[in-house]
Amino acid sequence: MTVRRILILAPTLLALFLLQSYFWVPTYEEQTRGNPARLKEYISASIGDASILNPILSADSASSQIESFVFEGLIDRDKDLRFRGRIARSWDITEEAYFYVNEGASIPGLGKADAHEVIRFLKGVKGSPPPGSALGKALEDIREVSLIPPREYQVTREDKLPGKQGKAGKIRFQVHAPARIRLVLRNVNQDLFQDLERLLGPDYFTGFNGLKYLDADLRLDNRVMETYARRILPATEHNPVILFHLRPGIKFHDGTLLTAKDVKFTYDAIMDPKNLSPRISDYEPVKSVEIIDPLTVKVTYKRLYSPALTTWAIGILPEHLLNRDALRAEALRRGEDPKKFSVRMSSFNRHPVGSGPFRFEEWKSDQFISLRRFEDYWEGPPNYDHYYLRIIPDNLTQEMEFYAGTVDDYAVQPHQVKRLESDPRYQSFSGTSFGYTYIGYNMRRKPFDDPRVRRALGMAIDVDKIIRYVLYGQGERITGPFAKQTDYYDAAIKPLPYDPEGALKLLAEAGWRRNRDGWLERQGKRLQFTLITNSGNDLRKAILAIAQAAWKQIGIDVRTDLLEWSVFIQERVNKADFDAVILGWQMGIEPDLYQIWHSSQTHPYQLNFVGFKDKQADDLIIKIRQEYDHDAQVAYCHRLHEIIAREQPYTFLYVGKWTAILDKRIVIRDVDKKGNVVYRKITPTKTGSYTFYFNKWIKLPEVPTFAQDG
Amino acid sequence: MLSFIGRSFIQKLVTLFFVSIVSFLIIHLAPGKPSQIDPMNPKFTPEILERFQKEFHLDKPLYIQYVLFYKDLLTGKTVSWKDNQSVLKKMWDRFLNSLPLFVVGTLLTWTLSFPLGIRSAIFRGGAFDRTVTFFSYLLISIPGFFFAYMLIIFVVTRFHVPVIGMETFGLATTAWTSVAMDRVWHLLLPSILGATGGIAVLSRYVKSQMLEVEGQDYVRTAVAKGLPPEKVHYKHALRNALLPFATMFGLILPGLIGGSVIIESIFSWPGMGRMAYEAILARDYPIILTVNFISAVLVLAGTFLSDILYLLADPRIRL
Amino acid sequence: MIKTADTPRTWNETLDTPSSPGRSRLEESWRLFRTNRLALIGLGIFLIFFCVALLGVFLTSGSNPVFDPALVRLEEKLRPPLSRPNLDALTPGKVPTLGVYLFGTDDLGRDIFSRMLQGAWVSLTVGFVAVGLSVLIGIAMGGLAGYFGQARVTFGHLLACLLLGMGSTWLVAGNKWLAIVLLLTGGALLYISLQDTRSGRNPAKENLWLSWRRLPIMTVETLIMRVVDIMLCFPSFFLILTVVAILPASMYNIMIVIGLTSWMGAARFVRAEFLSLREQDFVTAARALGVGKLRIIFRHMMPNALGPVLVSATIGIASAILTEAGLSFLGFGVPPPHATWGNILSDGKNFIFDAPWLTFIPGFAILIVVLSFNLFGEGLRDILNPKLRKRS
Repeated sequence: MTVRRILILAPTLLALFLLQSYFWVPTYEEQTRGNPARLKEYISASIGDASILNPILSADSASSQIESFVFEGLIDRDKDLRFRGRIARSWDITEEAYFYVNEGASIPGLGKADAHEVIRFLKGVKGSPPPGSALGKALEDIREVSLIPPREYQVTREDKLPGKQGKAGKIRFQVHAPARIRLVLRNVNQDLFQDLERLLGPDYFTGFNGLKYLDADLRLDNRVMETYARRILPATEHNPVILFHLRPGIKFHDGTLLTAKDVKFTYDAIMDPKNLSPRISDYEPVKSVEIIDPLTVKVTYKRLYSPALTTWAIGILPEHLLNRDALRAEALRRGEDPKKFSVRMSSFNRHPVGSGPFRFEEWKSDQFISLRRFEDYWEGPPNYDHYYLRIIPDNLTQEMEFYAGTVDDYAVQPHQVKRLESDPRYQSFSGTSFGYTYIGYNMRRKPFDDPRVRRALGMAIDVDKIIRYVLYGQGERITGPFAKQTDYYDAAIKPLPYDPEGALKLLAEAGWRRNRDGWLERQGKRLQFTLITNSGNDLRKAILAIAQAAWKQIGIDVRTDLLEWSVFIQERVNKADFDAVILGWQMGIEPDLYQIWHSSQTHPYQLNFVGFKDKQADDLIIKIRQEYDHDAQVAYCHRLHEIIAREQPYTFLYVGKWTAILDKRIVIRDVDKKGNVVYRKITPTKTGSYTFYFNKWIKLPEVPTFAQDG
Repeated sequence: MLSFIGRSFIQKLVTLFFVSIVSFLIIHLAPGKPSQIDPMNPKFTPEILERFQKEFHLDKPLYIQYVLFYKDLLTGKTVSWKDNQSVLKKMWDRFLNSLPLFVVGTLLTWTLSFPLGIRSAIFRGGAFDRTVTFFSYLLISIPGFFFAYMLIIFVVTRFHVPVIGMETFGLATTAWTSVAMDRVWHLLLPSILGATGGIAVLSRYVKSQMLEVEGQDYVRTAVAKGLPPEKVHYKHALRNALLPFATMFGLILPGLIGGSVIIESIFSWPGMGRMAYEAILARDYPIILTVNFISAVLVLAGTFLSDILYLLADPRIRL
Repeated sequence: MIKTADTPRTWNETLDTPSSPGRSRLEESWRLFRTNRLALIGLGIFLIFFCVALLGVFLTSGSNPVFDPALVRLEEKLRPPLSRPNLDALTPGKVPTLGVYLFGTDDLGRDIFSRMLQGAWVSLTVGFVAVGLSVLIGIAMGGLAGYFGQARVTFGHLLACLLLGMGSTWLVAGNKWLAIVLLLTGGALLYISLQDTRSGRNPAKENLWLSWRRLPIMTVETLIMRVVDIMLCFPSFFLILTVVAILPASMYNIMIVIGLTSWMGAARFVRAEFLSLREQDFVTAARALGVGKLRIIFRHMMPNALGPVLVSATIGIASAILTEAGLSFLGFGVPPPHATWGNILSDGKNFIFDAPWLTFIPGFAILIVVLSFNLFGEGLRDILNPKLRKRS
């Protein structure tokens, strides 16, 4: 019967057709070993796709990965974490300091002095400075003293108008600025004015009142006027200056030379509000970026800000492709409104042009991004021909592709590390990540306001076991808020011991005793709270269960909850509506912890959501931020580390280790002094980046024998 | 008939309008804000957050946002918040990717379910029926990712061929037959997985319908008359059993815009399912609303189609 | 022998009583069921699971349970089923009851057997309540749409429903007084409108003020089918995500949500069946005999329409349990450390090669529940629809 035959034939034919396609597909062998071009390609796997390939706009890791190859910044860090110049050949850090002449103050040994007299005085003392003292050193550093004569100017500020129930409006100020003295220094000195006070008298600066030089067009009350006076006419001002000297002859991928105007353009693009760059706050302290000549850029800052230098690792954009004329031309071509067209909308973001070692080739959405090597790279072209980023969202399939040889590296999970380390085909290296995982306690709520309770909670959890079994050894204990590999971290501070008995003792001191059912109780109330974390992270889920079980052992009734990331952050963390959270920080090398630990950052939507407030810590944080001398900074950091470790606002758990597994045949190819080709093993650098010498990597047909040294 | 079509069409339009309002409300009332406005990123100051809000029109009252959004949608100008690309273009690309998967999957499902279900019904209680029933429910009870992994491991370790992705990465040849066949191969495994669930379900329905029809009196009469079993089953019973499936046919339409997130993730298939899922997690409103809107259009068209098919197919029905 | 009536009986009862000696309908059904061995086995297995689930709740709850599902033993992670614990490494409090890991351990060293016991009740309830809810709503909606197809829905009805809807939302939102007022007005209006339809009062005598409520808007069928369409337009995952994010993450909310988002299939099937059944002779006969409408729907037509509904119910159980698994993967669902079959499954996703039992055991349990329910369902269908019985 025909119907029956159709019913049987249709699926069989379909199945046969589909199955026969197997014979057309190249096997893995053909793709890898049988394909010599494969050796010249480096294929990396990523779980998510990139979003915007523009260093000033992107915020996700896949985009950053590509940008690190396509673009290049003025500086970056070398294998010992020191700054090294890339586009910038060298740089100088100096300072311009300003202070207003305080005609009412009496200078010891001089009496009341006007501007010229002060300058003459300073130059005189500078000629024969008191040796060895801080003041002496400060005076030595002064290269030049000059006068800014008094001037009149106007300033407008937007603020709530007085008396009009908080309506915002403009207030105009007439400023009759007095004479100002400008000091150009050889080094940045955050204590300059404290040192100068020895010379000019203890209230030379503090006694300066800008109020009498300021007129407002509206009547404002005294306190408000004083605040404005302090802002518009500050007694002292530090303006650190970085002067970058660029390397000549650096080209963009389209052949254009890179000059200072590209640097300035990058800065302007970041600060342009239309572009909505997430990096604006990094560059907010910048006062101005000036082009001195095509290979020299001068960056002046409004105030002391030591993380400044790091921010210049950002990729430099080509001005000729993204300036106003280019954007307007593109807008007209696409039929968009030129006035609203910003860098964010440009198709440059899907087809970037930079000055890095690899040039952009193609991007197939959610499939792969391909780059090919840039022959005119200033340091010499990289050894690899092609770099591919394949998007493979599933971890297991990534692993399979890696085994098959069609992917050179992927995100290795801790439990896979052991299996792969013992495999002779692969080399592995690991290093500590930049960041840590912790349990944060909301110090605004009882019982977390008592440091003994916080310590006890930390002592009840066996973190070493977590590292051993949950992380498979791929982690290390951490005791404080700095990156463990840097010297800002004080390695002498010991982690909390695993001591449930000790925890019980501490809790008893705080008034918590076991009741009849075994739960801890104080004044009739049980010790009970809720621990939350975000879903989608297996490690945190495991810690949730482990912490709950550990605390149950010592009699604390802990509920747990898993929330979706958005909801977790927006509804609980940002509104500080939680008891305890499990979270992690990913950080850079800079020790600036203002946003996380300063007491002013404890409001909703800010990052000090645990509510940590300590005066000493606040002072140290500000000092660290303004200190340009490395050793002094380290000393401050160690003290801050000690305070935080003592107070335990977090239970610091661990810092994860990253492990990279590569085919053993990938090595560094270098040319030694005699011009011979030499192969060296890849070793990871302190930055956690083992791709440091990536441009020198090459994949050989067989595992080479290594040179004796190197 | 014509009046039915006319009335139905207008009703669907009204429903579409209603759906657009409800989906808009749901998105905006759901907790969580777009991840572009991600305050966990320490570099985001409140000013930037405010600017993003302004850019996305989130500071305006809801009804204005509604009007703005749908104006953009209907003129094709909606832009994703994640990477500023045109939503319609993105959706079209992903649609083209998902389409072959969908087509092959549906073909496999429908061509395999009917023989299996019919045979199960005819030889009810026999070995065939019991095995198929067991396997059907097995496929439904164990989650899809398990079978996906098993299949992939099996094929990769035994046959050493790549299975993930839409095409073999770095395919050297450019002969169009090889490229086409390569694509077909990569379609095979994900379609099988997508189809297994469908086959399990659909074959059960087919069997159930066939059983019902076979129990009717006219079938009994046919057997009593002495007609050969082939004619009884395939000519008389089957035709009537197929009636509800004609209506199901119309409901395939919404599947065009769907796609299983799990299968697409495991096979690195850049399809609609993954895009919609990621958009939901990142609260990328333009994408979510556009996908919702278009899928609503397809659902309404699908139900419309199946209503008409049903009208045409069963003479007993008067609407 | 036909029972002759000494006292007048209604036609309903006459239709119901079988013409064979002395057996009530229930006894007849039970007799049929008993002979169907497979169906009995299905029911039996299902009841066993049910009891085990109840027992499991007792055995695993409290602060010192017999089988502890939350006890973390990191050293014993990922042990295969029936393996002995490493007694040197464990403190006595941590040794599992029964001295052996019956079903193995998961990646935190928790005993899978205890977790399966704890999760049984939750998973079974999620499966059956969600599916039960969806089937009930689906049958009701489909039946009403299919039978009452052409009845007019008046303005009064719609307004009443709107008021009731608003009232319930306000109730959920917490504003009790406004909610009560709205619910009462809505309820009253609905009652009056329904009375109108039933009695078919002459509108000419009506006061103009009240006659607006008679304005016909659309047919019942249109209304219900449009509601089905609207619900179908939203991918269920999306709806569930939203509702679960707004409401607290309790088991009951999830069950209700899954139930409320999956009734559309059943409704469409039932309506389709009803459209064809409505014209069949037995229905015309029943109507002619004066059998009440609701009775016709639920007592006569429904048993014939249940075929596809039963299939989708069986499938729905597995799907509901797995949906709960998917939700717990995203972080909704029952809050940890409470185990459910679903979250044991999703936790085991990463360890498919190292610990396949984490996937097999819950999957197998779900399979058995589903199979047993399927067997039971087939037996049930045979009872309800004599035409489907095997010809013996």
